[in-house]
Amino acid sequence: MAEAPFEPKIVAFLCRWCAGAGADLAGTSRIAYPSNAVPIRVNCSGRVEPEWVMEAFRSGADGVLIGGCHPGDCHYVSGNYKTRRRVYLLRKVLAEMGIEPERVRLEWVSATEGAKYARVMKEFVAELKKLGPLSLERKEKEPTAAPVLPRVGS
Amino acid sequence: MAAKPKIAVYWTGGCGGCDVSFLELGVALLDVLAQIEIVFWPALVDTKRADVESFAPRSIAATLVNGTLRTEENVEMVHLLREKSQLVVAFGACAYQGGVPGLANLASREDILHRMSTNGFHPTPPPGGEREDAPPELLPQAKSLADEIAVDYVVPGCPPMPPLIGLLFDALLSGDLPAPSHVFAHDKALCEECPRTREDRVLSKVVRPHELIPDPKVCLLDQGMICMGPVIRGGCGAACPKAGMPCTGCVGPTPNAGDPGLAMISALGSLVRAGEEGPGAFAAEDKLLDALVDPLGTFYKYSLPAYVRTGRRSNR
Repeated sequence: MAEAPFEPKIVAFLCRWCAGAGADLAGTSRIAYPSNAVPIRVNCSGRVEPEWVMEAFRSGADGVLIGGCHPGDCHYVSGNYKTRRRVYLLRKVLAEMGIEPERVRLEWVSATEGAKYARVMKEFVAELKKLGPLSLERKEKEPTAAPVLPRVGS
Repeated sequence: MAAKPKIAVYWTGGCGGCDVSFLELGVALLDVLAQIEIVFWPALVDTKRADVESFAPRSIAATLVNGTLRTEENVEMVHLLREKSQLVVAFGACAYQGGVPGLANLASREDILHRMSTNGFHPTPPPGGEREDAPPELLPQAKSLADEIAVDYVVPGCPPMPPLIGLLFDALLSGDLPAPSHVFAHDKALCEECPRTREDRVLSKVVRPHELIPDPKVCLLDQGMICMGPVIRGGCGAACPKAGMPCTGCVGPTPNAGDPGLAMISALGSLVRAGEEGPGAFAAEDKLLDALVDPLGTFYKYSLPAYVRTGRRSNR
């Protein structure tokens, strides 16, 4: 039996004011686009912590999309600017870790850009198919003791 | 008089600095030594592995392990010591989160062995057969102590500072032990105990320590130094910032910060400014961040094995 072709898994963090509304519009406009993404709506792209991106990768995502408002449009004035700088730095760190920085993608999508959201998703899926599945070397063994390092949210 | 508690100190892949750090207790060390019996401490007393093997299980009150786990022998020894000890303490940054030697995880085992052997070091027995004194096998990756055995307490620092070592001995000798997994340092960020004042709350340039003699009163981040203070535990007395050096994170992250590198990315993303925010500043902001040389090594200087699972494969 032939192996099923690789379908990348994507986690998409979308801000509720622009990118999330844009994704909604893509749906209500019945624009066809790949269904590889699990969308997670956040109030602002500036709320997306780098920790969440890594958690998505650790949980099996092959790519992470962060969708925010166009420059100047942020509902909270400057959340998207913070996100842009964080993503820039995070991608540098990912490259040093040996993870392709292209697996994190930041896009500005307005509430009227349903078509753009669909195009971004098509492009991203195609790019991730080229990169192949993300393999993070797992720890051989989890700590046996009560965890010495309490993690955020655990 | 009750028997003195038996204490063991062991080193794995460390530099010896942790063993020396006990001396920093000064005269207080004499009080400590009078109240304990040292049963095993390779840096200090002539005891061998066979001696440890002869101890009854759980007969050592506490074993303090320093160093990262790098060889198969390290792993065997810490399992042996775990069996013989009631308490095991990760002593110092290496045992806690992998430490500076843990940065080697960015290279594969094969790359490391190649580099060593081209420098005249031969990790395999010479021709002519096995030798008993052949070096132990290198693990594929460096590990922290908790990756291998249950760790009861942590004394962080590179090396641990006297006040933190004091907290450990206070607890051990009084019998008033904290909850399991306790880290002998503050839960609040280093900034809380740093005497420097924050003014701008922006990072408008990135400078390395050798490029600037900082103003003695102003926050180092305000002056462009990448100081890990916002995400790292206090307890060290802010020794480095007081001396004009940015915190490099040896005490480990606060419980709320979690992963120190990701927390720093988040913090720096908020702080960086290159003129008025907006599309016109994007290029300048990127250039500013490009001046941060080796962000991975800066953020995870003491904690790479604990947080980063590298996807890097051998270059060979």
